[in-house]
Amino acid sequence: MNCSDCKDKLDRYLDRELSNTEMLELQLHLEGCPPCAENYEFQAGLKRLVKVCCEQDKAPEAFREKLRQILT
Amino acid sequence: MAESPPQTAFAEEALSHLDTLYRGALRLTRDPDAAQDLVQEAYLRALRYQHSYQPGTNMKAWLFAIMRNLFWDRFKGSRKEDVSLDDVGEFVLYDKLRDEGARPEADVLDKLAASEVVAAVEKLPPLHREVVLLVDVEGFSYKDAAETLGVPIGTVMSRLHRARQQLQKSLYDYAVESGIVRGNGTKEVPNQ
Repeated sequence: MNCSDCKDKLDRYLDRELSNTEMLELQLHLEGCPPCAENYEFQAGLKRLVKVCCEQDKAPEAFREKLRQILT
Repeated sequence: MAESPPQTAFAEEALSHLDTLYRGALRLTRDPDAAQDLVQEAYLRALRYQHSYQPGTNMKAWLFAIMRNLFWDRFKGSRKEDVSLDDVGEFVLYDKLRDEGARPEADVLDKLAASEVVAAVEKLPPLHREVVLLVDVEGFSYKDAAETLGVPIGTVMSRLHRARQQLQKSLYDYAVESGIVRGNGTKEVPNQ
């Protein structure tokens, strides 16, 4: 695998959507290629950041109770 | 009249996914009141059509699909505009920052305010925003996201890629505007 292949597959690697063989190939490339590894760490950090920031919103308790009354 | 135990069980299971639905609705509508209206309508519809839900399948995905379909029904008129996303090309924030002398993770990611990250997500067109919500926030597989959105997996992948590019562009612009990085990408150095 070269850097271009790695870049093409990075989204699917981040999202754990590659086959086991492809995951391993990409992992091996990252272990031997610091620039790609650093890019991966950055992209993974960004994905985590989006998740953490967007997950902070929870349904208000009064709304949850209102729905429970309506639905049950 | 008291509801039957199966209906109560269905409602309780459905309500266990409320935070996911509410977050999704809030990001799509960008308005807490509109989000509550949308979610309430989605739950009422789910209850009405509960016979079409197959027990043991992904209820969270089923509910999200109902909610986002209602959202699109309401905003049908603006659908075409919502599809468009400015082509930012292959904008790789990491490369841009690195080339220009910043330490991408330490200098930029660690300094972004949560509200700005949420704002960048909300700036995405809804068709791209909902893919980010499903895959990045809620952890859906591409297959589950594709089924929820009623599109092929390839469409999920391309929308997700473009959404991430746009997200990085928005965050870079914010980093420049807020002085986290200089306009040419170099790190802001505090006055001594």
